[in-house]
Parts: sequence; C-alpha cells; structure tokens
Amino acid sequence: MTAKRLRAIALLAISMVFLLAWAFPIIWSVLNSLKTDSDVLAYPPKLVFSPTLEAYRDVLFGSGSILPNLLSSAIISVGTTIVTMLMAVPAAYALARLRFRGKKFAGFYVLATQMLPPVGIIIPYFLVLRNIGWIDTYQGIILIYLSFSLPFAIWLLVSYFEDIPFEMEEAAYLDGASRLKTLWRIIIPQVRGGIAVTVVFVFLNAWNEFLFAVVLSGNTVRPVTVAMFNFVSVEQTLWAKLAAVSVLAMLPVVVLGVVAQKHIVKGLTVGAVKGGGRR
Amino acid sequence: MSGQGQVSFRNIVKMHGEFAALKGVNFDIKPGEFFALLGPSGSGKSTTLRILAGLDAPTAGRVLIDDKDVTSTDARDRDIAMVFQSYALYPHMTVAENIAFPLEMARLPKAQIASAVQEAARKVKIDHLLDRKPGQLSGGQQQRCALARAIVRKARLFLLDEPLSNLDAKLRLETRAELKKLQRSLGVTAVYVTHDQEEAMTLADRMAVFMSGEIQQIGTPAEVFARPNSIDIAGFIGNPPMNLVPARYVDGDVIIAGHRLKTTTTTAGKRDVVVGLRPGALRMTEGGLGARVDLIEDLGDTAVLDLDCAGTMIRMRVSDGNIPSEGETISITARPRDIHLFDPTTRMRL
Repeated sequence: MTAKRLRAIALLAISMVFLLAWAFPIIWSVLNSLKTDSDVLAYPPKLVFSPTLEAYRDVLFGSGSILPNLLSSAIISVGTTIVTMLMAVPAAYALARLRFRGKKFAGFYVLATQMLPPVGIIIPYFLVLRNIGWIDTYQGIILIYLSFSLPFAIWLLVSYFEDIPFEMEEAAYLDGASRLKTLWRIIIPQVRGGIAVTVVFVFLNAWNEFLFAVVLSGNTVRPVTVAMFNFVSVEQTLWAKLAAVSVLAMLPVVVLGVVAQKHIVKGLTVGAVKGGGRR
Repeated sequence: MSGQGQVSFRNIVKMHGEFAALKGVNFDIKPGEFFALLGPSGSGKSTTLRILAGLDAPTAGRVLIDDKDVTSTDARDRDIAMVFQSYALYPHMTVAENIAFPLEMARLPKAQIASAVQEAARKVKIDHLLDRKPGQLSGGQQQRCALARAIVRKARLFLLDEPLSNLDAKLRLETRAELKKLQRSLGVTAVYVTHDQEEAMTLADRMAVFMSGEIQQIGTPAEVFARPNSIDIAGFIGNPPMNLVPARYVDGDVIIAGHRLKTTTTTAGKRDVVVGLRPGALRMTEGGLGARVDLIEDLGDTAVLDLDCAGTMIRMRVSDGNIPSEGETISITARPRDIHLFDPTTRMRL
C-alpha cells in the first residue's frame, strides 16, 4: 500500500468521523420522528422498529397542529428576506461605488452592529415594540430581524459589487444607460451568485431564529422554532412529535440549500479565483 | 451619422488634489479625422479621453463637440462610442446582446436592432459568434466584439483607449491595419489613446504628444517625426528613438566628441546644446566621427549598432550588407538637415 493511498484512507476516516458527528442529530431526529413514544423511550434504543407516520399526522393535523406556525415562519422569513434584499442591494452598491460623506463611518457602522451580543438588546427591543404596539405582529418581528439581517446582507454584498470593474459601468453609461438601468441590466446580473448566497443566509437566519422570536412573538405570530416547545412540558417531553417538527422545520432549509447549491459554491469561491470567472 | 464629430478642447485643466494631471490642454480635431493622443503613462492622455467621453469632469476649461459646449453634459447624452482597454464586455450577455445594448438603450425597434447587430458583427467578422458569451471568445474576438458594440450605434465620435494593448504582437499588427480601414470606411471621427508611438505613427492622421500633463506637439506623424518640438518628444518617437547627445555649438557647427559637424543654422555664437540624431540618418563616411562598434542588433533587413564615440553612446541603423563587425572602429557623419538642435535648459527645439 502506498503512502498516498494511506493518506487518502486516513482523510476519508477523519471526514467520516466529522460527518457522523454532524449528521447524528439529524439521523436521531429522523429516526425518532418515525417511532411511537414508547419506542423512543426504550432503552437500549431500538434500532429495529416498525416505522409509523403517527407523529407527523399529529403535529400536522392534530389539535396542536404546527401548520400555522410553519406559515408564520414562512411569512417572517420571506418577508425579512424580501425587505432585506430590496434595501441591501442598493445600499451595498452605493457603499461599493459612490463617494459620499461619511462613507467610511457608514461602512464601519454596518459592521459594528454585527458585534453587539443579541442578548443585550432584547429588552430594549421588547420595550420599543411594546410601546408602538407591535409585539406579536409580523411587522414587529420583521423589523427586528432587519436590524441584524440588513447589515449582514450589505456587508456580504459589498464585496461582490466591488469585484465588478468600473469600466463595465462606464461602458454602459456611454452606451446610453442611466445609472439605475446600469445597475439593473449590467451590475445585478453579474452579482446574482452573491445575491443568491445572501438570500439563502438571510432566509436561514430568519427561519432558524429563536432568541428574539421567543420574546417578541405571542399567540398570533408564533414561528415554528418557538412552537416546538409546545411539545416540551413539565410533566413530559413528546420526543417523537418534537422530532417530527424538527424534521419538518428542516425541510425548507434543505430544499433551499439544494436549489441554491450551485450559486452558493460559485458565490463563495469568487474571491478565490479573482478575474477567472469574469471574462 | 448623427453629427459631424468635431472636437475642441479649450484650456482643460484637471487637478487630482494638488497634482495637476492636465495643465491647460488645447486641441481641435477635424470631422472624420483619426486623431491619436500619444504619450508615456501618466502623461494625461487617458485623462483627456475620459474628459472627452464625459466620464471625468475637468477642473477648468471647456469641451466642445460640434461647436456645442458639452463640458457638463452626461456621458450618455454625448453620442460617443468607446472601446475600453479591457473591452468591458458584459459577461452575462451573448455577443449579439452586447452589440445590441446601445441600440436597446436608444429604444430602437427590435427588427432594426437585429439587422444593425448583424451588420456591425459582419464588419468586424464575428457574425458567426453571435450566440457565444464573451468568456467563450479569444482575446482577438473579444476585441472585435467591443469594436462592434462601439460602431453599431453610428455615434459621431469613436474613442479608443489602448484597444490593441491586450493582443499578442502578430494580432496587434493585423488588427491595427483593419482598424484603420474600418475607420476610413465608416468616415467617423476617431480619437485613439496609446503609449505606443508606432501605433500612433501608423494609424493617426494627426496626433497630440503628451508629456507630463501638457501637449508638447500636435501634427501629422510625419511632421512630429521630422521636427520633434522637444527633447522629450525626440526621445519618445522613433524606434530606436533619436540619439540625444550633449554638444557645443560654435558658429553654425556642433562639436561632438571632438568632431565638427555642420548644421543648417548659421547664427554666430557659442553655447551648449543637445544634438538630436536619428539612428537612420547617420552615414558611414571617411574622416567622420570615430566610433567603436560595441554591439550589433541584427533585425534581418536592417541592423542597429551601438556605437561608442569617445564615451558617448550613439545608436545607428544600417541596412543589410553594410554591417561592420563588433569591435571594429568606423567613422560616421550626418547631413546638416538631419542634425536637430535642442536647448538643454528649456529642453525645447532651437
């Protein structure tokens, strides 16, 4: 056996260990979501069991259906993503291109907001929202989510815009395009990889968010991350149902990841092969 | 054609903070002319082109196109087409979409756009590549695509910023010739920026030679070659450029390395001068300026000799069959009308 072969096997083994560690919670959730509550609690864990969709039926169509919560999560995530992108794309373009007073400060401010510990600002956010009567509303939660998704999206997008040569825009102006038309027809199509990456990250952050949601939501607007805890009570934890909800909550994330995979990989490697993918 | 394409620069100044990129530039370009802006990098030629295009605003002065003041007109309203050094093709569009873009912006009907794109592509011989993306083209094809995008609109002015510098040597020569033919056939005014004096010499009807933010000379290539205005231009034009030798002027003669050469000047008096001698204007003769052949660069039909004339380096071009050997001592001279005199302090022609 050659040294090269040995190294390949060693690498494979190491990556299998990491993969297993990463995949274990997911496998655990999927398996337990297919068990009955008694099977879940069996010790030692049953590896062979008769799978049932009962937990799914209960959490979707039972008395405590999480369908409204999935809908809430979807509205919040999609809403946050749309508003974020509508504001972040022009803002990132401006930061990358235009010269204006306070640009340096604006750039720093955008990044600085990312450094605040979220726990420290929950209470003020709660008080502000309560005063304007936006607790337990979509606009309230989306507004708060914007406060961290927007700086993040701007910061991520700026580097993509900066990668586009100035001459590209100048050529468009001379071809008779206005600044807006140039942005829409020439610049944005070239940063669509970056936009896809940003959309995915913003959507996922909003979909996965728990800390702010648990404080700022209520009975009307309750995203699935919060609603999951209906299945955890003082007396008992309904593990099978909890697992089923987890799997359902993971689905959109997985779908989005698969759909956007090509763009994400391309978007993440743009910096590595500067100029390579451009012409 | 939508305009005549007549250009005037009036005292254009461009400051970058304290640094003067352009120190009062004046020139006039006639309609239909191929006008080159020639100069070393940092001399202000590209800034001049950008101001003409409307991509930069001058700090002072006026830009006139067809007798209309366009100094504060937006780039997109100037009716100017430009080929960039990097070509600046839109990578997400096909060749056809790239060429069509300026017409789309002008809101031309679809059918008219399609036929104009075909025609422009045919003129630069890329009509078989219309469905490709710029990334799938060779450098030369990309360059043609950029040309097609510029000519499709039939703008009144055609600006080219070092368009050949990214091509390899052979392609550059071919494209150079085609560019000239294309400009002639379109009859459009072309303004061409280059640092390559040979490109300017071969392409331009007239050229402006830039040196550190100023135009030092405007004229036809032949005029600039025959009578360079300054030491800087003399040392920039020609390949190899003019020999510039410090010498003493005495009553119509110059003394180089102890040898007297007659000039066309007859003014009496003595002064220090810089003598300019074209490598091709030097002749071998009996009893001339003694020179040892240090090095021979054989170019095939001609050769360039590096001569050591008592410590002064002089380069001389000789034709095939007339080449001495290295280490040999020869004797050279120049006709009075081939001797250029410059002032060593002002660096201008005397």
